Amino acid sequence: MTEVKAELVGSVWKVKTQPGAHVGEEDELLILESMKMEIPVTAPRAGTVREVRVKEGEVVKEGQVLVVLE
Amino acid sequence: MPDEYESKVGELRARRKKNLAMGGEEKIAKQHERGKLTARERIDLLFDAGTFVELGLLAQNRDGSDTAPADGVVTGHGEVDGRQVWVIAYDFTVMAGSMGAVGEQFKAARVRELALRYRKPIVWLLDSAGARIQEASGSTFAGTGWLFAEQVYMSGVIPQVAAMLGPCAAGTAYIPGLADFVPMVKGTSSMALGGARLVKAATGEDVNDHDMGGSQVHCYESGVGDNEVENDAECIATVRRFLSYLPSSNLEPPPFEDIGDPADRLVAGLEKIVPVNQRAAYDVRKVIKAIFDAESWFEIKPTWAKNIVIGFARAGGHSVGVVANQPMQKGGALDSDSADKAARFIRMCDAFNVALVYLMDVPGFLVGSQVEKEGIIRHGAKMLYATSEATVPKVTVIMRKAYGAGYYVMCGKGYQPDTIVAWPFAEISVMGPEGAVNIIFNKQVEASENPEATRAQLIETIRAQINPYLAAGWAMIDDVIDPAETRRVIVTGIEQARGKKIDRPWRKHGNIPV
Repeated sequence: MTEVKAELVGSVWKVKTQPGAHVGEEDELLILESMKMEIPVTAPRAGTVREVRVKEGEVVKEGQVLVVLE
Repeated sequence: MPDEYESKVGELRARRKKNLAMGGEEKIAKQHERGKLTARERIDLLFDAGTFVELGLLAQNRDGSDTAPADGVVTGHGEVDGRQVWVIAYDFTVMAGSMGAVGEQFKAARVRELALRYRKPIVWLLDSAGARIQEASGSTFAGTGWLFAEQVYMSGVIPQVAAMLGPCAAGTAYIPGLADFVPMVKGTSSMALGGARLVKAATGEDVNDHDMGGSQVHCYESGVGDNEVENDAECIATVRRFLSYLPSSNLEPPPFEDIGDPADRLVAGLEKIVPVNQRAAYDVRKVIKAIFDAESWFEIKPTWAKNIVIGFARAGGHSVGVVANQPMQKGGALDSDSADKAARFIRMCDAFNVALVYLMDVPGFLVGSQVEKEGIIRHGAKMLYATSEATVPKVTVIMRKAYGAGYYVMCGKGYQPDTIVAWPFAEISVMGPEGAVNIIFNKQVEASENPEATRAQLIETIRAQINPYLAAGWAMIDDVIDPAETRRVIVTGIEQARGKKIDRPWRKHGNIPV
């Protein structure tokens, strides 16, 4: 199981995956918005999305778990 | 008498042979089983064929016994691309490469002395269990440790490389700590101020050397290591590559190497890499590869503080240090680690006469309570310091965003760039238009009938004022250029500034925020 965490404070702009989806390494999982930039969050490895723990518009903290892969 | 003559020379041959055999076949086989090369095999890879000159081959254990061939460290000099380089290679097959009295106080010390005397680079090939505890005798420890002081005296005078090819435990970890470049072999190398057994005794923590100090820690989290490499051969090739961009000492210019990529070549394909939409990310490394001489890009610290990209490249044959924001990571915003990473690299380039090229696309420094706790002000100040202090040729290219203090540390106009230009879609501003509207026009927006429409309109009004033509109209920047012209502008910018000399008020030294 791999937890994909936010690298910086920001808000969730777009969620681009869902539980059960198969993703490859480097695939975009969601896009954060911070510092007026769209910041893609990508899969650190290939796997299946088990959980998406955030909703669009939600403010996330640095280190907060966004997506769980297995 | 011929017989006696022959027997004396024969003894020399025998002594040489014994020490060249290192720790013996069994230990060498074990070294290979671990996926490591021996100290002598590494030296063969480091130097041009046949150029190694060994000093201290006949050294032995300080008790005079023959139990430690060469006292566990191979030392001397050879050539890297035809230039003299000095080496200290710890031999793990001899008492686990432990640092003995003879090896450390005489052999390694000799190399440091001569490398500095001749102003030539020094390379440590580290694979050592640390100090040879068997030889430690009480408080005579009081007389040790000057090697680090010598490293500090060498700093900025000759390039220092610490190649991590095995363990490097305890105080010796300060060798890489003070070096200019620290490649680490994945899986076999590690460094820590205290090895696992010492840690257990000191604090009770149960951890092994690899988990505590392997490349997965130092090249990804701590930033003590620079480049993670797969094996010994790749590590040593990386050392040779690193040295190719640097002069032998601070008294020389870096080597010029024209590979025939024309200086005035128009840069193709940037329109496919860089989105005009300021919010969209891209990989700045693609921009770097497109601009600089083909195959010349050598990234340093690629896996740590990835929101800034640093490394060497060549521009029309000139060795340059590139500092580029990376919009793909944290939006390119600067934080504590990225400022540290850039500051140290900028100072290395400045010390060794390597021109600096800043490729700017920065939304500013990260803001908020987390980064303030980290002390981002003092970390960011290091980058301000390094960029201000640097007197090598400096070329600044504002590609897109140049916001706030990000513009300053990336060598904005106030930091004496020799050339500063912007691309047509650059935005130069104290902050982005969105932030500016929120702060300046908040009341006006809220009072309006349609706040969202008003906000959008104000944002566009401000955006129109932060394009580069206002700055160019004031001649605060030297030019606005077609991105395709970037390569030519960088090369001419560096050549225009050759022979540059800047005198600042005398001081003992500045006080860089650390």
